[in-house]
Amino acid sequence: MKEIAISEEESRAESDAGYDDRSGVDRSIRIPVLIFFGSGVFWLVLASLFYLLSSSQMFTPAAWWTFPGVEWLSFGRTYPIFFNCYVYGWATCVGIGTGIWLLSRFSGVTFRSPLFPILAACVWNVGIITGVLSLLAGATTGRELLEFPPASAFIMFLGLVVVSLWAITIIWNRRFGRMYISQWYLMGAFLWFAWMYASANLALGIGLAPGVAQPAINWWYVGSLVDLWFTPIALATAYYLIPKIIGRPIYSEKLALLGFWGLALFGGWTGLTYLIGGPLPAWMITASIMAKVLLLVPVLATAVNFHLTLKGHFGGSRGNLALRFVVIGAVVYTAYSFVGSIISARSIAEFTQFTFVTMLHRQVGLFGFYSMILFGAFYYIVPRLTNRRWLFPQLIESHFWLVVVGLGLLICSLTIGGLIQGFGLEDPQIPMIAVNDLLQPFLAIQNFGVLLLVIGNLGFAVAFTLILLISTPVRERRVATEQLNEASESTEAEVSVA
Amino acid sequence: MNKITGLFFGIFFLFGASWLGLVAYPYLTFAGLRQTKDEATGALAPLPNPGIATQGARVYAANGCLYCHSQYVREKGEGNDVDRKWGTRRTVARDYMFDRQVFLGASRLGADLTNVGVRQTDPQWFYRILYAPQTLSPEVSMPAYRWLFETREIQGQPSVDAVKLEGPDAPPAGYEIVPTSEGKALVGYLLSLKKNYPLSEAPEPTE
Repeated sequence: MKEIAISEEESRAESDAGYDDRSGVDRSIRIPVLIFFGSGVFWLVLASLFYLLSSSQMFTPAAWWTFPGVEWLSFGRTYPIFFNCYVYGWATCVGIGTGIWLLSRFSGVTFRSPLFPILAACVWNVGIITGVLSLLAGATTGRELLEFPPASAFIMFLGLVVVSLWAITIIWNRRFGRMYISQWYLMGAFLWFAWMYASANLALGIGLAPGVAQPAINWWYVGSLVDLWFTPIALATAYYLIPKIIGRPIYSEKLALLGFWGLALFGGWTGLTYLIGGPLPAWMITASIMAKVLLLVPVLATAVNFHLTLKGHFGGSRGNLALRFVVIGAVVYTAYSFVGSIISARSIAEFTQFTFVTMLHRQVGLFGFYSMILFGAFYYIVPRLTNRRWLFPQLIESHFWLVVVGLGLLICSLTIGGLIQGFGLEDPQIPMIAVNDLLQPFLAIQNFGVLLLVIGNLGFAVAFTLILLISTPVRERRVATEQLNEASESTEAEVSVA
Repeated sequence: MNKITGLFFGIFFLFGASWLGLVAYPYLTFAGLRQTKDEATGALAPLPNPGIATQGARVYAANGCLYCHSQYVREKGEGNDVDRKWGTRRTVARDYMFDRQVFLGASRLGADLTNVGVRQTDPQWFYRILYAPQTLSPEVSMPAYRWLFETREIQGQPSVDAVKLEGPDAPPAGYEIVPTSEGKALVGYLLSLKKNYPLSEAPEPTE
């Protein structure tokens, strides 16, 4: 029974005193959020297919199902298309959608016609479409996560500026004076992202940055993108959903503030840990390594805060799938940050740099931390926006397990494979070809893990399509959820007693 | 000053510090790099890239070579790149001063290419690897880049660029496989990757 309890807290929200007010807010912002969500899911499907293709190409480059000999579907194109679709299509679209939904709810502002965010969503997506087509044709800047040509980046920037200004305006015009910690994170995120995206593209695409200033700016951007765009969006979401779903305030506001200011202070400096030993002044790289280590202070503050808020309520994450996604994401965030600091130490980076370990680390940050929390947000927000319920909760349950198991396989195979690769590369007696031969079994497991992840994401897309297409009357849903509530509450009680 | 203004300035200045350090500083500093002159021979280093290298760099990016190949050599002690014969010294900022596109790379699924033009001087070697990577090893994870070549009928004399292939990859009798202009540009670029001149700021390790 418990797997159907995704809709459990829907009824709780309905009984909430402020629900009517908020449902007005939800209605007024429904269309832009659904456009961002819908396009995000579309890009997730595309990114997943390209991810599967590119990881198969890495494993069996000559097999017919990897399209050998097809120029526009070769690894050098499928990999950046996967990554850009995932980052700008899925992760950013769903991040903006969640961000503006949260801000509207916090501010209690209703909009007569949310024209600007709708416009922004369209422009942003047009930018991505032109960018992906350019990458297919081989028109790339050759800089990681900034591959889109300047024209596409400019279109995307226009959309970004509109939605960021709009988001800041909501914060400024909020009806409730006191700002909640999620609003702090979101304000930072929207300001930082517009800034970093503009200055990286300007400096590299138009400003012709000289020599090694290019990789320095490139990796500053990548580090900032993860630490000051995706991380604050995900944390803002978790800071909203965790207290909301378990019905208990956040444990400590002071810890939350420490987490926020620590992230703001160190987050922009972490990027150059990808260039340890690279042709840049030593102080720049040392600053990045130190930032990566010091970043553990805000990470720990946030982790402790979440943990103490959830204490005694972990059982709830069994019954509530949205919460389960968020809690897993928050746990991965802590683990991911610790591993990030460890592999940034010079003596360890000697072996792990250039290997699958660093590639895996980036992917875990996106798939395991960010996307897990945002999936949770998705499952929580969409029923409220559409006034419908998720059909086939088994689909959501299997989405969860496919992603968790797929990610687990990815982590095991690429960690072991990456370490073997690292020690192999550092031993000059072993030829390159021999090092890569050792990796084959790990690439096979990785490929299977990716397949599970991709199937999970496709199931998620199906669930989302169904809720958009099939209307379920609210009245009927209420009766159903009340019955479910009793069932899931009893399991919750059992768990907490045990 | 109310709380939201403080928040705004905090967000702005804390991130601004990293922007100054990691964007503005390198942007301004590395524009000021100059060639060095060897006191004994009067030779300048590094030298500007030949035109074909600039074209080839675009082909290098378009085919995503950078996702598997790196282009920098670490200091001995920070990694064993020198022992692996990927270079005789570490690379420094001056090495890249003329590069319009710098591909440092973050993966070494393939070999480092900083000095590939020193290790291999024969264009034929590159053509063969790009057309049929499995000639390097049957298990190699590098894909074939056959769209950089064309098969055509031999007209009169065979082309000097024709790829020498044996076995199943060889063209039918009377035909030859030659690189396209993109293929030639890419190989021209790879041949130009030589950072084997001395620089005083990056001495060769003594042992």
